[in-house]
Amino acid sequence: MPKASISGHSVAMVKQAAKKIPTGGDVENFSDHLELLALMGRDFAASMDIEETLNKGLARITRHLNAVGGALFLLDETGEKLCCTSCSGDTEITGLTLGGDEGIVGYCVQNNIAEIVRDVTKDPNFQQAVDKQTGFVTKSILCAPMSVHDQCIGAIELVNKVGGDGLFSEADLQLLQALSSSAALAIINARMAEALVEQERVKRELELAAEIQRSLLPDKRSESFPVHGVNLPARMVSGDFYDFFPLDDGRICFNLADVSGKGMNAALLMAKTASLFRCLGKTIHEPGLLLAKINAEICETATRGMFVTMVGGVYDPKTGHVRLANAGHEPPLFHDANGAFTALPAEAPPLGISPLLVEDGGFPETELDLKGGTLYVFTDGLTEGYVEDGSELQVDGLKKLIEENAALSAPKRLDAIIARINRDDQALRDDLTALIIEDSAQPEMLALHPGVEIIPSDGAGGEKQLKLKLKFPSQPNRLKLVRSLVSATAELCGCGQEASQDIVLAIDEACQNVIRHAYKDEPNGEIILEIRHNEDEMIILLRDFAKTVDTAVIRPRELDDVRPGGLGTHFIREVMDEVAFMPPPEDGGNLLKMVKRISHET
Amino acid sequence: MKHDITEKNNVTIVSLVGDVDLESSPEARKILMECVNLNRPVLVNLSGIGYIDSSGVASLIEALQTARKRDGEFALVKVSDGALRVLQLARLDKIFTIYDTVEDGLAGVS
Repeated sequence: MPKASISGHSVAMVKQAAKKIPTGGDVENFSDHLELLALMGRDFAASMDIEETLNKGLARITRHLNAVGGALFLLDETGEKLCCTSCSGDTEITGLTLGGDEGIVGYCVQNNIAEIVRDVTKDPNFQQAVDKQTGFVTKSILCAPMSVHDQCIGAIELVNKVGGDGLFSEADLQLLQALSSSAALAIINARMAEALVEQERVKRELELAAEIQRSLLPDKRSESFPVHGVNLPARMVSGDFYDFFPLDDGRICFNLADVSGKGMNAALLMAKTASLFRCLGKTIHEPGLLLAKINAEICETATRGMFVTMVGGVYDPKTGHVRLANAGHEPPLFHDANGAFTALPAEAPPLGISPLLVEDGGFPETELDLKGGTLYVFTDGLTEGYVEDGSELQVDGLKKLIEENAALSAPKRLDAIIARINRDDQALRDDLTALIIEDSAQPEMLALHPGVEIIPSDGAGGEKQLKLKLKFPSQPNRLKLVRSLVSATAELCGCGQEASQDIVLAIDEACQNVIRHAYKDEPNGEIILEIRHNEDEMIILLRDFAKTVDTAVIRPRELDDVRPGGLGTHFIREVMDEVAFMPPPEDGGNLLKMVKRISHET
Repeated sequence: MKHDITEKNNVTIVSLVGDVDLESSPEARKILMECVNLNRPVLVNLSGIGYIDSSGVASLIEALQTARKRDGEFALVKVSDGALRVLQLARLDKIFTIYDTVEDGLAGVS
């Protein structure tokens, strides 16, 4: 049998949309039609292989409507071409491609209407070239779009009815319409399922990428470690990163960077830059030179238009010294020990812009001594993040947050700051990354003031035997050691436990007064404590070198006055048998003398 | 100084452990005020106190006064000998409500 040509018909024939419910002779077929509809609906719903199901469906339709042949056309992704994906009966034109508006199929798809062409020979525009070539005689055509609501994805076309006058009826058209819609729904569902599977696959890959990215970040350190960081991606992967690692000499190499853009391309460049930093940072300890090398590498292979802003540096925990280079990044904030903020603006362009901008010595460096202060490095995801009222945090807001959380340990403070932006009710606007370097001033202070110094007796001093002489700086953190030395001395002098405790309390309170009121909390003052002992008394001398205090204003608290403060002097007078401010020594400062009588009954 | 905060029967129990001195009392004050600000009865367990000075006592007084202003309960439990001596020296042992055990304290402030 010759193959039929479905294409090549013009659509000038009488077109009638079927609207009537089947009547008369059609009624006996009606229940058959319903059965077919139900059968195909079930096939489509249960289908795992949409192509196979469509093939089977088309064959059923062709048989049921007594057509000689049938073809199913689908619009391609562009919506400009119709392709025959399935055939049945005597037509075999699978793979045939038409323009989106060609022939009766194109007309039906374009206008989303069903067509019946009873006699193509009466169509003046009907091109019979293919028919002549194949020897097939096309008499009548039935075509219905496959559409759900306004979305048309193709059409089903049937040719030549077997038997009778070989012409299709309106009832045939109506049935084909119903079947086409059902097929359309099945195809749309199958496509959606496919898209979902693809989406899942991409998501899994992103999750893997995110995991790799997280592994590029340094491990969390104990609270006492001076450097801590946090990185929260706005999407699944991040264009930000930070890193820090100790060098062999005890210094810590650190960096924080922001890749332009978000998403996968930024994440890939981030991974590359992070690896370059970690690798080169182990051998190049000059931040300016290190950033210049990384810049050269990125420039060599960077994708056009992408760049990286970075702060890279080296911190020495022993001295508090920081050397850093800033390549186009948001200025880090230095919060010094006195509470003042200093911004450290970029002095070089971002990495990946131009290798020519780098001079021989590398990127310009900034040096600073933290001296017990804290350095905050962060991306604009922090300062441009939204706070509760919908406004941006900004640098001023960050400063305030830092001050509010000053009492917290460095990692807890960092968490508190981040929590302000990263709230449950609000998606992150941008990747959020921050690094904190908290210098504990102690190593440096210890170098200046070797803790509590025990001064040996010079043998002079006469009748009152010197038991203990200490020199220490006016810092609260020295008092614990002073107390334990005083306690041991009191016991040596024969004091009972309670008396020892009392002496410790009085001396501690006296030292506090010197630190707080004489030196006004200035940490570099010097305090000398002497304890002498004879048979029945301990004599304690406390010397400082601060401005001479007006002793008239020092008085114990009224005891019925319950309020914080003023207690220390009361304790001293309560515990000691004698308390006296001695005349100010010639070289300035203050001298306090306290005497405690020791009862030997115990 | 270390601290630990727990909650039992809607009572906040804060334990201060170690030395509360000029160095650590700002932290002690902060902790105590945070507990008071929870607006629940507060028990301060002082069994682990080795040393407390006037600044530490001042923190306790401030917390007590803040709690009382709000009609909140604030009491000390298991006060160590050293801490009790300092409270006695300050004549504050009668100002603070002091319980020997946490259970007594819970019964007393609930």
